[in-house]
Amino acid sequence: MESQKPHRRLSRRDAIKTATAAGIAASIGPFFHVTPARAAKTLKILQWSHFVPGYDRWFNNTYTKEWGKKNDTEVIVDNINLALLESRAAAEVSAQKGHDLFMFLMPPSVFEDQVVPMNEVYAECEKVNGKAIDLGIKSSYNPKTKRYFAFSDSYVPDPVNYRTDLWGDIGMKPDTWDDIRVGGKKIKDKTRIPVGIGLSAEIDTGVAMRAIMYSFGAHEQDEAGNLTVNSKNTLEALRFVKGLFEDCMTPEVLAWDASSNNRQMLAGRSSLVLNAISVTRTGENQKMAIHEKIAVAKAAKGPVRRMGLEHVMDCYVIWKFAENIPGAQKFLVDYIANFKEAFLASEFYNFPCFPQTVPDLKQLISNDKKAVPPDKYAVLEDVLDWATNIGYPGYSTAPISDTYQTWLLNTAFAEAATGAETPEDALKKLDTKMKAIWAKWKERGMI
Amino acid sequence: MTTATANAVTAKAGWRTRLADNERLLWPLMLAPAILYIVLLVGFPFLLSLFYSVSDVTVGSRSMNFVGLENFHRVVASNTFWIALKNTLIFTIVSQFFVLVFANILAMALSADFRGKWLVRLLILLPWVAPISLGAIGWLWIYDSIYSVINWTGQALRILGPNDWPIWLGQPNLAMASIIVVQIWRIVPLATVILLAGLTSIPQDIHDAAAVDGAGFWRRTLQITFPLLLPITLVAVLFGIVFTFTDMIVVFLLTRGGPYDQTQVLATWAFFTGIQGGDLAGGAAVSLFLFPVLVAVAIVFLLLARRSEVT
Repeated sequence: MESQKPHRRLSRRDAIKTATAAGIAASIGPFFHVTPARAAKTLKILQWSHFVPGYDRWFNNTYTKEWGKKNDTEVIVDNINLALLESRAAAEVSAQKGHDLFMFLMPPSVFEDQVVPMNEVYAECEKVNGKAIDLGIKSSYNPKTKRYFAFSDSYVPDPVNYRTDLWGDIGMKPDTWDDIRVGGKKIKDKTRIPVGIGLSAEIDTGVAMRAIMYSFGAHEQDEAGNLTVNSKNTLEALRFVKGLFEDCMTPEVLAWDASSNNRQMLAGRSSLVLNAISVTRTGENQKMAIHEKIAVAKAAKGPVRRMGLEHVMDCYVIWKFAENIPGAQKFLVDYIANFKEAFLASEFYNFPCFPQTVPDLKQLISNDKKAVPPDKYAVLEDVLDWATNIGYPGYSTAPISDTYQTWLLNTAFAEAATGAETPEDALKKLDTKMKAIWAKWKERGMI
Repeated sequence: MTTATANAVTAKAGWRTRLADNERLLWPLMLAPAILYIVLLVGFPFLLSLFYSVSDVTVGSRSMNFVGLENFHRVVASNTFWIALKNTLIFTIVSQFFVLVFANILAMALSADFRGKWLVRLLILLPWVAPISLGAIGWLWIYDSIYSVINWTGQALRILGPNDWPIWLGQPNLAMASIIVVQIWRIVPLATVILLAGLTSIPQDIHDAAAVDGAGFWRRTLQITFPLLLPITLVAVLFGIVFTFTDMIVVFLLTRGGPYDQTQVLATWAFFTGIQGGDLAGGAAVSLFLFPVLVAVAIVFLLLARRSEVT
């Protein structure tokens, strides 16, 4: 006869012990993972979650995997929201631990002391792929220390996106800033659909306000890096934005984040925005009929010149404390050699800083399968004639970065536009704040 | 059970009992985790920011030089500081006033017995236990300039005209009101729970005796409940003030200080200066302005709480 085991009831103590054990296991479990066959080396990369999801799929699942196999390296890619890049970088520097390659979306000049100079990487890439563009150099080079503090593989053009139906109805095209103000007002009066150029604390506003300033002949600094914001041209730019806001926009632009202009345009609630081609790409990929009514134009011409900015600037750095510095350098050199794949995966979002890597760029953008019409993006072929870096005509230095990241220009333009300050007072306040920033970084030996 | 096993069990129990009765050993042992936590996660960063604020450290530098009070001079000279200080005070005082009113009402309602009380308690606690980033993103959509649920509902109910479309986060006064509403929504659950604990600790006998003496609801509330609740109310308000004064999440996620600095608070400005702008020393100096104010508030509130204790 089989003996029966006596049943023991689960006591409350047992239940608490079991639950505690399960809790501890669940908490620390993720820190213990078994990898069956590890590669000899590891390369950790951190970059933003790309606006074109297909790029991340290609980069994370195809390109880095293949590169890893060829180089006996396990490549780990982490993607984070673009707004978190600076705080993550600060945390990695503070801990002196983190990723081997870290990608910023604007020149990270304040981190120069913490990064491996990229002079050799540039030299290696230029041997095979020809010279890098001036926009890339200005965004990654410190003329004072003669060091490249970052490596720019690509930039994103920032054209004008406008509704062809609305602008067609009034018989105009937004070629100049004056056209935008006159045409934008006509459209708003007729249809209540406003122009959508941000005036808030976010990157698209920062780029748009600088595009207006530069095309009006106003600059934060001169070629040598001296502060020049307090000028007649800046005042003109502030007055222009005030008029543009009053005639053509609504207060919603004061509340925007970096994707609001995309949403407004795709919701049919804007006649014109300044943005990368992510607006139309989103429309095409999500099969929204409105994308066919959105055209792309060159940066608008101001009284002095036609000048826009890059929408974002890819800037890779290698930390001095990175564990795989040679691997990170080799990755960048190889990445540039294969940049055409990246250009295609980004659906023409990321333009090359080494133009020879995509020799047929003009043909490719002139015949896009998704765009309606197929040559919609052909207007970007001469983008380098009308796109420049933050800090033009100088380099993207620490005070330029500080001014950009603390939204000083955005605030000054918004104050002038809404009448919270007169353009004169807004400029005076801006000049005082920027003088303090220039003095601070000068004392710290960064300029 | 053998004698040896029984002795072992007794010895084990005896060791526990001895420890439980040894106050000299027990209190430091029980306090140690809290002290360790405060030293590592509060004390060390605080000392570090003191150190940073009198230096020229940046996010990208490991070396630093002593610069005295220069960062503080620079901060005080900036008009953004005064705007941020004013906004911080408005944000804190207005939100905590409403938190106090709503938490009292909710605590009283929840101290009564009714069906489904546990569900109501759960729903009220949700904003506190859910990650603020998720909640704030929900609010971002509620206030969205294009898809605002409030505006849509207002138009559907004809409270708003067809051309009325308030821009909640884009107009200075509305933006300030919007972040205050979210902060109230966030802090009310904590204050409610604290006040509810206070309410349940008031002996029922006192209410019964007052009722027998003919005291109505308002007299019982104003002359018994509120005075007895005062010490714990002050603690709830103190928590609310500290959390609100030092909070940057709501402002950062909803307005990032805009429109044109009209919702900028000291905590967000410290972040923008120190982390985004790279001036770690300047950011530390801004954040340290919070400290003396909070210390003063804490001392005043704790003194008041002690004086109002009913023994």
